[in-house]
Amino acid sequence: MTTLTSRPKSRWERFCDSYLLYSFKRDLIAQISLLVFIALVAVAVLAPWLAPMNPYDLSQIDILASELPPFWVDGSDPAYLMGTDAQGRDLLSTILYGARVSLIIGFGAVLMQATLGVCFGLLAGYLGGRVDAFLMRLADIQLSFSTLMVAIVVGALFKAIFGGGTFSDYAVPLLVLIIGLAEWPQYARTVRASVLAEKGKEYVDAARVMGLSSRRIMFRHILPNTLSPIFVISTVQVANAIISEAALSFLGLGMPETQPSLGSLIKSGFDYLQSGSWWITLIPGVVLVVLVLVINLLGDWLRDVLNPRLYKG
Amino acid sequence: MVITTVGRDTDNNPSGMERHMTIKKTLLASVIGAAMTSAALAPAAQANTTLRMAYDADPVSLDIHEQLSGGILQLSHMTFDPLVRWTKDLEIEPRLATDWERVDDTTLRMTLREGVEFHSGNAFTAEDVVWTIDRLKRSPDFKAIFAPIEGATAVDAHTLEIKTKKPYPLLLNLATYIFPMDSQFYSGEDSDGDPKDEIVKNGNSYASRHQSGTGPYEVTERQQGVRVVFERNDDYWDEQSPGNVDKIELTPISENATRVAALLSGDVDFIAPVPPNDLERVRQDDDAKLVTMSGTRIILFHMNQERVEAFKDKRVRQAFAYAINQEGIADRLMKGFATPAAQLSPEGYAGHNDELEPRYDLEKAKQLMAEAGYEDGFEITMMAPNNRYVNDAKIAQAVAAMLARINVKVDLKTLPKAQYWGEYDDRVADMMMIGWHADTEDSANFHEYLTACPDADSGAGQYNAGNYCNPEVDKLVSEANLELDQAKRAEMLQQMEQTLYDEAAFIPLHWQNLAWAADTNVDLEPIVNVMNFPYLGDLVVEEEE
Amino acid sequence: MIAFLIKRLFHALLVMFVISVIAFAIQDNLGDPIQQMVGQSVPESEREALREELGLNDPFLVQYLRFAVNAAHFDFGYSYVFNQPTTDVVLRHLPATLELVAAATFLIIVLSVPIGVYSAIKPRAWLSRFFMGVSIVGISIPVFLTAIVLIQLFAIGVSWTPFPADTGWGAWLNDLITTEGGMPAYGRGDPVPVFGTWETNFASLEGLSYLVLPAISLASIMLPLFIRLIRAEMLEVLQSDYVKFARAKGISPRRIYFLHALKNTMLPVITVGGVQIGTLVAYTILTETVFQWPGMGLMFLDAIERSDIPLIVTYLMIVGLIFVITNTLVDLIYGLINPTVKLTGKPA
Repeated sequence: MTTLTSRPKSRWERFCDSYLLYSFKRDLIAQISLLVFIALVAVAVLAPWLAPMNPYDLSQIDILASELPPFWVDGSDPAYLMGTDAQGRDLLSTILYGARVSLIIGFGAVLMQATLGVCFGLLAGYLGGRVDAFLMRLADIQLSFSTLMVAIVVGALFKAIFGGGTFSDYAVPLLVLIIGLAEWPQYARTVRASVLAEKGKEYVDAARVMGLSSRRIMFRHILPNTLSPIFVISTVQVANAIISEAALSFLGLGMPETQPSLGSLIKSGFDYLQSGSWWITLIPGVVLVVLVLVINLLGDWLRDVLNPRLYKG
Repeated sequence: MVITTVGRDTDNNPSGMERHMTIKKTLLASVIGAAMTSAALAPAAQANTTLRMAYDADPVSLDIHEQLSGGILQLSHMTFDPLVRWTKDLEIEPRLATDWERVDDTTLRMTLREGVEFHSGNAFTAEDVVWTIDRLKRSPDFKAIFAPIEGATAVDAHTLEIKTKKPYPLLLNLATYIFPMDSQFYSGEDSDGDPKDEIVKNGNSYASRHQSGTGPYEVTERQQGVRVVFERNDDYWDEQSPGNVDKIELTPISENATRVAALLSGDVDFIAPVPPNDLERVRQDDDAKLVTMSGTRIILFHMNQERVEAFKDKRVRQAFAYAINQEGIADRLMKGFATPAAQLSPEGYAGHNDELEPRYDLEKAKQLMAEAGYEDGFEITMMAPNNRYVNDAKIAQAVAAMLARINVKVDLKTLPKAQYWGEYDDRVADMMMIGWHADTEDSANFHEYLTACPDADSGAGQYNAGNYCNPEVDKLVSEANLELDQAKRAEMLQQMEQTLYDEAAFIPLHWQNLAWAADTNVDLEPIVNVMNFPYLGDLVVEEEE
Repeated sequence: MIAFLIKRLFHALLVMFVISVIAFAIQDNLGDPIQQMVGQSVPESEREALREELGLNDPFLVQYLRFAVNAAHFDFGYSYVFNQPTTDVVLRHLPATLELVAAATFLIIVLSVPIGVYSAIKPRAWLSRFFMGVSIVGISIPVFLTAIVLIQLFAIGVSWTPFPADTGWGAWLNDLITTEGGMPAYGRGDPVPVFGTWETNFASLEGLSYLVLPAISLASIMLPLFIRLIRAEMLEVLQSDYVKFARAKGISPRRIYFLHALKNTMLPVITVGGVQIGTLVAYTILTETVFQWPGMGLMFLDAIERSDIPLIVTYLMIVGLIFVITNTLVDLIYGLINPTVKLTGKPA
């Protein structure tokens, strides 16, 4: 006689059986996107070991090797596969390092927004009343100004407050803060909507009757149930944050040209577009687009699969 | 040492930081708001040849003593005449003064041109010049420049004596700044009861709205920030002048690319300045021509000896000087739009020393660093503006990269000019960039502002952010400023350049070039010069077929 | 209704108040305007006198109050750079920006509605898939990069010869990917004056040619969003009961799609769209920078660089006003189309 063992499934097994994995296996675009994304993240993280030279190490830069074209164009130098920029930095290395900066800021900013947004959203949804009204009014105003506008204005203000010098010293954390401040309302609204939906449910009432504290109810009980929309938003927001960073840097309100992100690299090359050195702008541009595109594609796929309630508009 | 000359750090065009901006808020709002101001209306002349030109800004005022800037001086050369002026080769040429002689070490006697009339019809006499010099000595912007002058007296209607406090060799240079104004026209009170000769900065004085000079053009229409119309003075005294332009329309276009586009599309006939990134575009255009000229504005870095102990060591400074490849910067970053420099004085200046050449030599630099005991280098901070000079931030980056080769680690910050000068005054970085043009077109001026021992009382070394101090050089230059023999004086100033070079007092980079562009039928070459005061009165525009 | 408008007005005032206080509080950090007004050789004593005369030495509160009183009369002071009332400066740059936004909006509407509807009606057609694919790529390209690529392709021109030029097909393919360039990509050209400082690019072919590239790049940021939005809304509507009922009744598909379904699709689209058109103004900063389009965005960046504080404040206030007005209008229109919405409620 055999006994049925009903051992609870491990997390991994549950994941293997999940619809998420099932749909991933059937979606070629999602697979390619993930592959490209992982590859990009890997080369960006490993930039110090992979890049032929360190673009931050000025002693490796030679002004006389400036504006060399990439290898397939006449007049190129085999030492510089993707050519060089106007200062004579190896473009391939600069792009790898730049992608790293862009990714750090992208993820950092999303972490920032998510933290702010989730806290405010939970507070607004759970407490209601004045707090809710105030926070949502703030979110309204910010959203009506458009997040990019808010980021530009906050960026300009920060740059003014700290002065150009200090700003470039702390450009990465400041940009994380700026983009975080500009984009929290997206999260807050979604979380608030979920909280409102969850609040009326029995398990919350039960928890309250049991005498659990508000904070515990919010973070331990309600929050987990709002995770799937947060997850979906986060993917799209990483893409948005990377674009925002690039836009700010392009306007001269972001990363300094001495430690270029993809955006500031594009900006520094733009001056040379007219004189024919298109590669300084367009090659990092392609990398930026591919990076953002695969993240967006993954986000699209996630949204289709998880199909969460999202705040529309 | 007494500062006897004044320099400025501005473009010769008025986009520079000293471009005078009115921030008067409400008090004068109503008055200035009526921007349409017509100056002494000229009889409507039949305009045959019209020149439409675009600068990056229009003159801030019609009062030529309100501000010392390229824009105002450009205006002065159009509507007034100086006593003497510079030729293209930096020689002095007579204008309203026809002849001059030194009576003694401190007195210059000038003979003035006869039969010259102001736009108002008043006759031009020595009294007008005396009046003008008095007014210049009152102007906040000009009084420093005119400090060496004791005063002027009219000997007779067309003879003038200018007295200086001490023997002053640059008196003729100074006379290029004396544009006689119509003393009768500017005397008395205007309708508000204010004196007509009052100088009000960014205000609304009579002189800022009305003009009467002797120049080739009169302002007939002026709308601040929109356009200025000049018409030829029919009674202009200089009948030798080949100039054939009857009417000039000046439109300010501040956006570089738009200004170039306006020329290329034929909307305007003459533009200045031409941004370096567009030089190629203009050069390749068949309907436009480009005129470039090696400029006189030196771009350099100071090495602050007070902040960095190592900079007190001559060998370290020399090592820095050897590490910088001026030609690489001029060739690559400036696309040939700059002349590599090894000294302060550009060619044509008295102090220009032909023997000094850029000295890029990396091995020598490393060797000097090793000798000084800094083989492993050290760390410094560097600061430069990012919208003041052509490619300023990029140049600073390149210099930082070059210094990295001798193991000097540079922490570079670049700031917009609005914030930069405050930091410059506080000397907040170990190496700071500055560009300088000598208003007197004279070598001593560079030294007095940039490399003289700093002295807050006399104002010497006001912009010497390196704190380099060599009393012997100071003494040499003071003596040169009392030396009336020009050949001897030139020798002394060349000695000054030699010493500064040997001691690597600073790191010269290049002289920024100047560029103008115009339609092919505008004969630009003869009238432009390194001071960037195009002598538009002498401009010839060929008939278009 | 009136309560709603008052609330919105209050909203607007609050936003402007906050902007002005912040801008005022940081003005010391933006740089010293005196530095920009006088020559470097002017001694400190003269500078101090000028500073005193301009009231820059007054306490913060005094300076702010002076500003606030004047602002109430729509007098925001004088631009340090332009030497003119800031409102004049902003208003002079306004037409250029509005024309750019109008042209981009036109492109968005003309393209997004048919494409969105088509890909909703025929979701499986390869053309729909193509549009969807292009639109997600479009979302992923930052607006300044679109602008740069357009400049490279149509203003500078690209000559590529990857295919053998001596064969007929190679030459043909080479020609196909080679662009001429020559499109204007800088500034507005020579716009035709309408009245006052208003000049238009719409009145001449030449003017329009200057508008093409900037308008396309500006539209490119919103176009994919609108296509996807219209498609999504349309799909939802098409699955609704009344459409199914109409189908069953035998009403022609064309009538269903374009009369009934589209009308219901457009409601949420207008809401989102209205807000997004305000957003376009933000993106003009990027577009104008790339194309040197002499609008408010370019002016704003210049003002930041030159620390022209009064101009920065005025720009932010006027843009704030534009945002509040567009949002209010959108809500009003939404309320008119869909009377069930209570205006006093949370704005959509």
